[in-house]
Amino acid sequence: MQYLPQLIASGISIGMIYAVVAFGYQLTFATSKTLNFGQGEALALGGLTGWSVTTWLIAHGIGVGVAYLLMIPIVLIFGMLQGAVVERLGVRQAIKTKSEAGWIMATIALGIIFKNLAENIWGRDALKFPSPLPEAALTFGSVRIQPMEIAIVIGALAMMLAVELFNRRSIFGKAVVATANDRDAAGLMGINTGLVIAFSYALSSMAAAFAGVLVAPITTAGVSSAAVLGLKAFAVAIIGGLSSGLGVIVGGLILGITETMTGYFISTGYKDVPGLVLLLLVLSFKPSGLFGKATIKKV
Amino acid sequence: MLKIENLFAGYGKVQVLHGVSMEVPTGMLVTLIGSNGAGKTTTLRALSGMIKPESGSITLGGVEIGGLPSHAIARKGLAHSPEARRIFPTQSVFDNLLLGAFPRLTGARPKGDVQGDISKMFEIFPRLAERRAQLAGTLSGGEQQMLAMARALMLQPEVLLLDEPSMGLSPKLVEEVFVVIARLKSEKVTMLLVEQFAAAALEVADFGYVMENGRLTASGTAASLKVDPAVRAAYLGSAH
Ligand SMILES: Nc1ncnc2c1ncn2[C@@H]1O[C@H](COP(=O)(O)OP(=O)(O)OP(=O)(O)O)[C@@H](O)[C@H]1O
Ligand SMILES: [Mg+2]
Repeated sequence: MQYLPQLIASGISIGMIYAVVAFGYQLTFATSKTLNFGQGEALALGGLTGWSVTTWLIAHGIGVGVAYLLMIPIVLIFGMLQGAVVERLGVRQAIKTKSEAGWIMATIALGIIFKNLAENIWGRDALKFPSPLPEAALTFGSVRIQPMEIAIVIGALAMMLAVELFNRRSIFGKAVVATANDRDAAGLMGINTGLVIAFSYALSSMAAAFAGVLVAPITTAGVSSAAVLGLKAFAVAIIGGLSSGLGVIVGGLILGITETMTGYFISTGYKDVPGLVLLLLVLSFKPSGLFGKATIKKV
Repeated sequence: MLKIENLFAGYGKVQVLHGVSMEVPTGMLVTLIGSNGAGKTTTLRALSGMIKPESGSITLGGVEIGGLPSHAIARKGLAHSPEARRIFPTQSVFDNLLLGAFPRLTGARPKGDVQGDISKMFEIFPRLAERRAQLAGTLSGGEQQMLAMARALMLQPEVLLLDEPSMGLSPKLVEEVFVVIARLKSEKVTMLLVEQFAAAALEVADFGYVMENGRLTASGTAASLKVDPAVRAAYLGSAH
């Protein structure tokens, strides 16, 4: 049991990554009751794009820390564009025709296309991502934590907070919330709700891409685990509730910690199982998520 | 100001409006009355772009708006306080009012004095002032109705569409709502008022139309409709 604090600490950072991707699921669900099932691929693409930008900058004589910081806004913009493409090609028509299955198949298909594209550009092997922070672990008593793990927690919280503040404070954010409340009524206010939905897809992929460059320095960048990651983050979104902002953080931490525990006490080979089991359990017993109210009748 | 010619509209295969023509002149209060299911709400929905008209023409200030998406129509100055209020439940009363002014705050319409207009709404609807920070979803039905009207007024519209502002309200609140409508009329707000409560609507309006089964069956000044025997028999609950 003396490893418990260490397992929890290690679970927190990966849990926050799940939380950010799950937060992305919430963003599009709120405005359009649809989800981008290519979120795992969006994360992987963000990580790979970030890898290219960072290594290019380093090759041009820029220090790794600065290169990493310069890369972030570029990856955020890339993520937004990628999300906008998904909305335009996979979702818009399905929403217009009220097709219940259309967007599910389309976003899965687009995820596969993006994965293939990435494999052709960056190859199938995972790429080592230059770490902007020292890789030596800090020790707190018996617990060892990498600086990058702390950066993940801070970065993830900062991103979710920024989106929340935007939604609450700015008139455009209020328009997003209005669209989530009642799309027709929002239209009557002069809000272009189609644009709001496209924007929520852009933000959702942006969140995933950001998660991709946060996690890559401690894992790697690559598409091989994208689909599993997307599914696990979906489990977190369901656990946390598709409509509750705070729930995904709790859900992410539950899953992250459960995974490190499973890896330690059972076998790392079963690391992916808890997330999928949790998903099955929540879907059977509490379809609205532990913290949310909306049901997901269309999934 | 608002002119409708030979409007046909419905929901998918269900045809509801069969050639409706009517006019709302600048500064006038026009009422549209009719029994349940006559097509009054459908008319307002077609005007504000919530549904696409099948054919016919709708002009606002001489500009064709028929078939435009609802956000584009709102930006041209048509405000719609919809049936069942449709306020934004998870946002505060104050934010609901700000959202009513969305086109003004984002450059699609002249900005004017948004804060001043919010203060004016709080003066017209004192119940909202007391609850400015409260979430709109927690308001009573009557308060939500006032919020829906105030939110629509925040557009500073060319024309205001009101769909049954008296629905589900206590007699005292109905009276309050009609006092507000009369005040807006005295301030020359151009309005199209849909009401079941025909007597009160004809009392306050300048002009009226009567709708049955998706067609207009009578029209005239409010004073003339009030004494029209057929209208009295069907909508004013008296046959003498
Ligand atoms: N979303 C919809 N889909 C299909 N039919 C509809 C829809 N909304 C209304 N209708 C039909 O259109 C007709 C007119 O309805 P509408 O709501 O315009 O009536 P109304 O005059 O506003 O009635 P009320 O006074 O009860 O509000 C009705 O027969 C109604 O059943
Ligand atoms: Mg109606």
